[in-house]
Amino acid sequence: MSDLRLVRWTAVGVGVALGVLIPALLTDFLRTLAADAAIAGLIVLSLVLLTGMVGQISFCQYSFAAMGAFTVGSLVAGHHWDFWLALLVGVFFAAVVGVLVGFVALRLSGLFLAILTIGVALFFDRFVLAAGNWNSFSGGLSSWRPGRPSFFGIGLRGEYAFYLFAFGVLLAACLLVWNLRTGKTGRVLRAVRESEVAASTVGLNLTAWKLTAFGISAALAGLAGGLAAVRVGSVSAGSYDFLHSISIAAIAIVFGAGSIASAPAGGIFLIFGREALIDWTPFSTQWFDVILGAGLIFQLVHAPDGVVVDIERRITRRLRPPRQMPSESEQRSPERVPAEVG
Amino acid sequence: MALLDLTEVSIRFGGVQALLDVSLQVREGEIVGLIGPNGAGKTTLFNCITGVLRPDSGHIAYDGKDLAGVKTHRRARLGMARTFQNLQLFGRMSVLENVMVPIDAFSPGTPVGDAFRLPTARFEERKAEERARALLYFLDLLDVADLQAGDLSVGMQRRLELARALASNPRLLLLDEPAAGLDARETAALADVLFRIREQFKVTMLLVDHDMALVMRACDHIYVLDFGRIISEGPPEDVRDDPEVIQAYLGEVA
Repeated sequence: MSDLRLVRWTAVGVGVALGVLIPALLTDFLRTLAADAAIAGLIVLSLVLLTGMVGQISFCQYSFAAMGAFTVGSLVAGHHWDFWLALLVGVFFAAVVGVLVGFVALRLSGLFLAILTIGVALFFDRFVLAAGNWNSFSGGLSSWRPGRPSFFGIGLRGEYAFYLFAFGVLLAACLLVWNLRTGKTGRVLRAVRESEVAASTVGLNLTAWKLTAFGISAALAGLAGGLAAVRVGSVSAGSYDFLHSISIAAIAIVFGAGSIASAPAGGIFLIFGREALIDWTPFSTQWFDVILGAGLIFQLVHAPDGVVVDIERRITRRLRPPRQMPSESEQRSPERVPAEVG
Repeated sequence: MALLDLTEVSIRFGGVQALLDVSLQVREGEIVGLIGPNGAGKTTLFNCITGVLRPDSGHIAYDGKDLAGVKTHRRARLGMARTFQNLQLFGRMSVLENVMVPIDAFSPGTPVGDAFRLPTARFEERKAEERARALLYFLDLLDVADLQAGDLSVGMQRRLELARALASNPRLLLLDEPAAGLDARETAALADVLFRIREQFKVTMLLVDHDMALVMRACDHIYVLDFGRIISEGPPEDVRDDPEVIQAYLGEVA
């Protein structure tokens, strides 16, 4: 057990060190990609919570992200709000939309939930994010150019500084989700996933917990959107359309929504994988989705819980030999009367 | 006054009258049995009591209060717990976690406390784990606390369902065929476990089972359900000798 923890924390330590050091050696262009990867990682993380813990699929995470991005964009660029305050409001709006979607999704799961979330994403694409819709809110500006904020007096204008900031946010979010997962919240959400009838019978309010999960997940995606708004320096609907949501969901499934490590891994794969494809091969960017689809099929056959989850499981198995099931015949019949319980 | 009081509860599914005017009382401290052939409506009755199904007519009162419109999880908070005939464990969670979930359901912790590992959340966590371990010890499952619930044998899964039901500190325990899938030795041990549970937790029980030996041995009072109707009730020895019961149920077995 302690071996396992040692390996886990060593891996986290090495990952963080590499995450800080490698971009220091890269060009500014690659640093912006690294920041994008951290932001995409946040969206994968939002699915780790929703799909990995509660078992609810969502194909509209980028619509939640758009709530964050458009709110930050319009408040910072259109109304000259402070970035941090705008980010807080953006995350809150995203969470509210998440809860609303969750409310509609309450009685759905599996295929029907997937279709519902696709509907939400398309609704966002066509109506909410359509050109001109946010103009009245933004004071008539057709496009926002929110400037980069500063963090405790340190300007985030430099690409490396901004990357470190985005990476730090991703790490903090991973830590919070890890804490949720290992605590009461994680246990309760997994219980809801395993058996709704049993979960409600032991006293869990299914409605409240599912809405909580949708709210937190959407808030994480909204946070990613808020960061993306100031990373790019402008907000456009095309960056948050339905196809992005599909790709990110596919990545969360390929890497495994059961593991937090899928968040950074999935973010890196999405951003740098696409870039490598364009730079190093004659293929165009559309082929990335083909590769992702092929990866999805391979993973569903060979590692149905996801690649990262599968690797983690192999390592765990190596470090901790499987415990023998005590056979029923060796079981003592429960006749001892132990100390007071209850 | 009865802890659980059903008055003329009826429910039908399409053309099937699953329950017809079922009246039944469970007094505090009793172990009441409910027997009947397959398809007699026993599990349906449980689902009505726990709020999974809503009866078409009739009243279900718990501790003097009408339960109409009270949601399932609210009924758990009033002190009702149940086990499931078709095991409904949280299969891919550890045995310990299975027992911690009902304790979590009643604890005041919030996701914020969890996310930031506030001292209160950690305190609640330790408390829940300790209580869960005590319950696992009580049902002789402590050795398998870290295994996945879905990997246990049926006998152990049945005991785990009991441990989980007890974890919410119920006043009324509804047991849906706890002996299904158990061998004769395990079934015999189960009756002792039920007596010990009553003694230790001061809990009232409504027991549904096929196993006549278990029901006759464990119960103070028995109701017999057939085609959705109560056809007989009384102390075990009376019910055993009731010709209508023998016709409907025992005769079929013999």
